[in-house]
Amino acid sequence: MPEVYVSDLPNKPQSSHNSRPDVTRHRHLPDKKALPGYTRSRVAAYCYYPDHVKFVGADSQEKVVLLLRRHMITNLGWIVTSILLVSTPIVLLVFELLSFVPANVLLVGLLFWYLITFAFILEQFLSWFFNVYIVTDERVFDVDFIHLVYREMTDANLDQIQDVTVRVGSVIRTVFDFGDILIQTAGEVPQIDFEAVPHPDRVAQVLRELRVEEEIEKMEGRVR
Amino acid sequence: MFISDIPGIGGSVDMIFKILVSIGFVFYIIFAFVIVKQVNKMTDTLEVGLEKTLRAFALLHLLFAIGAFALALTIL
Repeated sequence: MPEVYVSDLPNKPQSSHNSRPDVTRHRHLPDKKALPGYTRSRVAAYCYYPDHVKFVGADSQEKVVLLLRRHMITNLGWIVTSILLVSTPIVLLVFELLSFVPANVLLVGLLFWYLITFAFILEQFLSWFFNVYIVTDERVFDVDFIHLVYREMTDANLDQIQDVTVRVGSVIRTVFDFGDILIQTAGEVPQIDFEAVPHPDRVAQVLRELRVEEEIEKMEGRVR
Repeated sequence: MFISDIPGIGGSVDMIFKILVSIGFVFYIIFAFVIVKQVNKMTDTLEVGLEKTLRAFALLHLLFAIGAFALALTIL
């Protein structure tokens, strides 16, 4: 795929926010703010060259290129549920449907209800926030937290990636520009899935360019 | 008129209710403690700059649960 390196030419324009990220060139740019997809937000679903990201299993020289989460819109279900959970007792109190309950029992009941609601919101947020996909300049990681305390972390070297498939299925996914990326590897784990990540085409492009760069490093004998 | 106002069985119902609520809160406090441990594990796995806030939320949740349990024991 030699055409990828056309981007190294100095006269290629690179100003539009929607333009494809060019990893081979951006890696050495000092001004990260100019990169398309770069954000300082800690809760963004698509972070290109994120600041201050550290994770278990990273090498000291490894640079995080992409930090991905499921698209924000995938949180809509639990946000609506949370609003219903918060508003239900208020509605019941306003319409005096709980007037038969003694005041002390009502107070304890409400406290318990809102504790459970808070725990539900916290759990859902944590699940979204910490189930991440990380692309470094050496590897791809899939970090999953299942249930309360079970952690699963899968990684594959970039040079083990055999095929990258982008899958954008429904109307909502097309409108909000998110989809799945299926990464087939030659490693122990045959496939790593990035589910419902924003800008899947951009992610695939970044992976493609990183793989090419890895190939070049191998040929030049610069493998870490 | 509440069930607890019925002569003879009112006190027993109150006691059973109080025990059930207490058991519920004890389980909830254990659950809140597990959330604190879970958040610690998650923030140890991935650091992006929100660790202190999330740990504070989890701890606050545990403290509220303990506070609610204490309140329930007092007013029921």
